[in-house]
Amino acid sequence: MKKALIVLEKEWLELRLQRGLLLATLFLPPVMTVFGVVGFFAVGKIPASTIPQGGPLPPEFALLSPLEIGQAIVGRQFSILFLLLPIFIPSVLASYAIVGEKRERTLEPVLATPIRTWELLLGKILAALIPALAITIASASLFVAGILAFAVTDRVREVIVTPGWILAVVVDTPLLALIGVALIVVLSSRVNDPRTAQQFSAVLVVPVLALLFGQLAGVIVLGPGLALGIGVVLAIIAAGAVWAATRLFQREVILTRWR
Amino acid sequence: MAHAIETHGLTRKFDGRVAVDGLSLAIEAGTVFGFLGPNGAGKTTTVRMLAALIAPTDGDAIVAGHALGVDDTALRRSVGILTEQPGLYDRLSARQNLRYFARLYDLEPARADAQVERYLHLLELWDRRDEPVGTFSKGMRQKLAIARALLHEPTVVFLDEPTAALDPEAARTVREFVKGLKREGRTIFLTTHNLPEADELCDSIGIFQRRLLRMGSPRELRAGLFGAGTVVRVVGDAARYVPVLRALAFVREVRAEGDTLTVQLDDPDSRNPDIVDALRAAGARIRYVERLQHSLEDVYLRLVGGHA
Repeated sequence: MKKALIVLEKEWLELRLQRGLLLATLFLPPVMTVFGVVGFFAVGKIPASTIPQGGPLPPEFALLSPLEIGQAIVGRQFSILFLLLPIFIPSVLASYAIVGEKRERTLEPVLATPIRTWELLLGKILAALIPALAITIASASLFVAGILAFAVTDRVREVIVTPGWILAVVVDTPLLALIGVALIVVLSSRVNDPRTAQQFSAVLVVPVLALLFGQLAGVIVLGPGLALGIGVVLAIIAAGAVWAATRLFQREVILTRWR
Repeated sequence: MAHAIETHGLTRKFDGRVAVDGLSLAIEAGTVFGFLGPNGAGKTTTVRMLAALIAPTDGDAIVAGHALGVDDTALRRSVGILTEQPGLYDRLSARQNLRYFARLYDLEPARADAQVERYLHLLELWDRRDEPVGTFSKGMRQKLAIARALLHEPTVVFLDEPTAALDPEAARTVREFVKGLKREGRTIFLTTHNLPEADELCDSIGIFQRRLLRMGSPRELRAGLFGAGTVVRVVGDAARYVPVLRALAFVREVRAEGDTLTVQLDDPDSRNPDIVDALRAAGARIRYVERLQHSLEDVYLRLVGGHA
């Protein structure tokens, strides 16, 4: 475990030296959150008569006024951001940490040390997961604070910051992040460019976007039951992905099979 | 003398293709062993097996007192390896690179820092210690990679082509450093394509092409393949002295070319005085007597060419 922390420390040291990557992954989410909160606040200040009406709405929006609906739609859209960030950030970080290391041929000297491969893998996974989850939770907290502060009514707060959404952020996003990192490890055995690995791992965004559009169209209601159900499915997928990643992340396999 | 590396029938196959075929060798502790062979001969695969990076398909080995496959983590702690590519983190400084590896080799932080400082001084990189490695020349990167292999003071060091692509000055620095490692009593397993370098550095050499073709000291390899011999230069035409030398029972072959006689025999050190006496008795005036020299390159090409 001690060596996993040494690996984690080195990964973060390298991350600090990559300004572009740091900005794109760790500073962009708070900026987007602030943008969302400002938009949410602004919608609450415009005259209700200027808000267009019609179109399919979720059932829980039925009793809301046009002004409340305007804020609720903006809030809902931005709330999905916190399910996307944990896929995007760790995938980018892990792709540089693993595919980048493979490309630079730095893995062999590391594997020649007395480190165990699970320690190396754990260090790299944690190095990608911890900042991603920390920034997601911090940004989500900022978002919730903004919603609580600027919602025009309590009803708007209740349709955005729902128990289902909170459960999804707390339970589902770490699992999505873990799947993203495991997928990067699996892809690392075949690709030599971090960007290629990121593009492949972007497929994970599709089910989250389906959830977003389903909610906006009123087809899906993200309640606690659904969030937990998704969590169970994700946990099974994550277990399989981690198993596959562990099988591929072995000295022998890395040195003789990775191309 | 104890053996630092011993292998018995070490074999490695990849999908049925044999990369290393029944390698058996014993390398004395505190010596430099040269492992020569063409590209794709299986040298890197052998080094990877001996450094417990990949497992053999068959056979066994003891490296630095550790049996392969028993406690590979302990084995890795006892050996150092310079991989074919330096494999350094370009964004990190020389010091950060070494500190990371020192800690992976289980050195406590204070000792890690001391060792990093020691090797940066030894390899003349101390002045550039806090600069990103990406700005280093090839020679500096190679020296840093060598430092990394030694941080934990291994008794057995694998150097995979340590002077490849280095300029002559940097290559000489590395060679001198390798000699220093030998003086410290470490065992060096050196793979190289640079035959004069192998001749200069190695106590024993193995010529390898999927299997071990020949092993011995550079001198033994030359003698074993081409036989020993003496070259005598005389005043005038050497051909007239050929019958004189052929009459000597210990002479195996004599050739004359201009003023030079090339004599093949088993033990030149003890027989050269007899050759000189016979020639002088026949009236020859002798300019030089010297050992018949074949280069290691001749040995290598004869062996590897014969198995290509």
